[in-house]
Amino acid sequence: MGEDTDTRKINHSFLRDHSYVTEADVISTVEFNHTGELLATGDKGGRVVIFQREPESKNTPHSQGEYDVYSTFQSHEPEFDYLKSLEIEEKINKIKWLPQQNAAHSLLSTNDKTIKLWKITERDKRPEGYNLKDEEGKLKDLSTVTSLQVPVLKPMDLMVEVSPRRIFANGHTYHINSISVNSDCETYMSADDLRINLWHLAITDRSFNIVDIKPANMEDLTEVITASEFHPHHCNLFVYSSSKGSLRLCDMRAAALCDKHSKLFEEPEDPSNRSFFSEIISSVSDVKFSHSGRYMLTRDYLTVKVWDLNMEARPIETYQVHDYLRSKLCSLYESDCIFDKFECAWNGSDSVIMTGAYNNFFRMFDRNTKRDVTLEASRESSKPRAVLKPRRVCVGGKRRRDDISVDSLDFTKKILHTAWHPAENIIAIAATNNLYIFQDKVNSDMH
Amino acid sequence: MGGLKRKHSDLEEEEEEKWHWSPAGLRSYQQALLRISLDKVQRSLGPRAPSLRRHVLIHNTLQQLQAAIRLAPAPALPPEPLFLGEEDFSLSTTIGSILRELDTSMGDLASPQNPVVPPGPPDDVVPQADPVFLEALSSRYLGDTGLDDLFLDIDTSAVEKDSAPLPPQPPPSLFCAPGSWEWNELDHIMEIILGS
Repeated sequence: MGEDTDTRKINHSFLRDHSYVTEADVISTVEFNHTGELLATGDKGGRVVIFQREPESKNTPHSQGEYDVYSTFQSHEPEFDYLKSLEIEEKINKIKWLPQQNAAHSLLSTNDKTIKLWKITERDKRPEGYNLKDEEGKLKDLSTVTSLQVPVLKPMDLMVEVSPRRIFANGHTYHINSISVNSDCETYMSADDLRINLWHLAITDRSFNIVDIKPANMEDLTEVITASEFHPHHCNLFVYSSSKGSLRLCDMRAAALCDKHSKLFEEPEDPSNRSFFSEIISSVSDVKFSHSGRYMLTRDYLTVKVWDLNMEARPIETYQVHDYLRSKLCSLYESDCIFDKFECAWNGSDSVIMTGAYNNFFRMFDRNTKRDVTLEASRESSKPRAVLKPRRVCVGGKRRRDDISVDSLDFTKKILHTAWHPAENIIAIAATNNLYIFQDKVNSDMH
Repeated sequence: MGGLKRKHSDLEEEEEEKWHWSPAGLRSYQQALLRISLDKVQRSLGPRAPSLRRHVLIHNTLQQLQAAIRLAPAPALPPEPLFLGEEDFSLSTTIGSILRELDTSMGDLASPQNPVVPPGPPDDVVPQADPVFLEALSSRYLGDTGLDDLFLDIDTSAVEKDSAPLPPQPPPSLFCAPGSWEWNELDHIMEIILGS
């Protein structure tokens, strides 16, 4: 796949000092805004870091701008639920940008329980020369005012201000795994393990429960909601995925409570691959509508699948992410890796899909050419203008130079969170506490 | 939890071999999975609410294992290689060890080695005695009622919370035979562990 193998690193990756890596620094979510100008990351320490793409440089007019830190703020703090005697982690589970309505940017961030709406504004000028108040805003003694002047705006160093606008609390008993802003730009949903709520962006004291799969008796619980998303164009449609590998498309026009799905997407199990881990590996860890709204992309432990909204019986495409792990499931179960929640992403034209793997590897699949590539997010490849080399994992037998054997994969280095720029071939890869941003050579190398 | 950890290579070998396993080999594979699963359930107790997804997936796996073990007839011989084979284990000391285990895991994430478990005979597969109660239970009940009964305690909904001695019943209820209060207590513990 030309565009992938040519992918270049144009930006310095944002490396924090390895010797001081703490759990709090681990990146837990990555999200581009709708134009791709901004990129937000959340971490386990409850912080949100926003990167902004710098404008084109005058010296090298055709080069693309790099992403630099724009603003950092503490979104969530650790809390304690005194009724249940449980800690509530500050970890940012998801970030979603709101479509930009004015000069300010807005995003939603959530931990396990509470969703917050943040407004990000810029200030690079300040008014000077008021008649009735001084520089610090204090009223002047009127007797000293002898002449009138016109106040002027003077340039100042750019200041980015982030302020919490709304706090949507107490809507969830279980852990929030997804938030999704509706295409109506007025509402959003939040999904936890058993319920999905619909909120109005301006109202914090009530939400509407639109899905509830909690059984009357929790002992009968066999399935949980793992991810959920609104359709990009039809504000009445949303999808949610389950730990049993199914997808349910719901239509909010049908009923207020969408417990009965409109469509159930489920693939019959392959009896030849049946094992005790069948259900665990079929659990869907992420679901994403294509930009066109025609397809859905799902990730389970070993594969990514593309579903057509018009075909429920089976996915139209299935790509193996790391099938060589199929014989290692027992060890992966023992080490808990089998429960890792890998996310997946579409490129801007819905023709390429991307998802993470172990050993700081990530995979790309070209839907048209059916070619796939394994790439590595590493310090070596993060040097400016270094070209990403495809990597290969070998399973026994012949081993070529630079191949890596399955047994030497590092399962502590996992790429769970990735994001693709909405229009260009720029990708953001979160590898533990490092954020790598790679860009297509074609865009960065125009002569 | 030293004794629980087995070398990955052991498990992988077992898994790769599963298609041509002897019934005893399959049984020991299932036993290993069962022990790993129960260990996970125990270890998930902590100061933070555990992941419900992980919990449900482990629970469903346990149910599957239970069903599989029920379906497979228990071989009379040879004895399971994974069992420690202490015949003098009493259920009440085992329950005590579970409670201590729960206690320590609630208070401190690092569970110390359980002092109740006496050093077992040398065993190649499980080099160290560990606090998992399964071996003790199975070693005690493998001889009489079979493994089916053993795993019924996982399915907490199947257990009546009746402290009165149960009248003789056909399977699957005969797991309460050795002393119903003990089983109920164990069941209660399992409810604490597995229930939400």
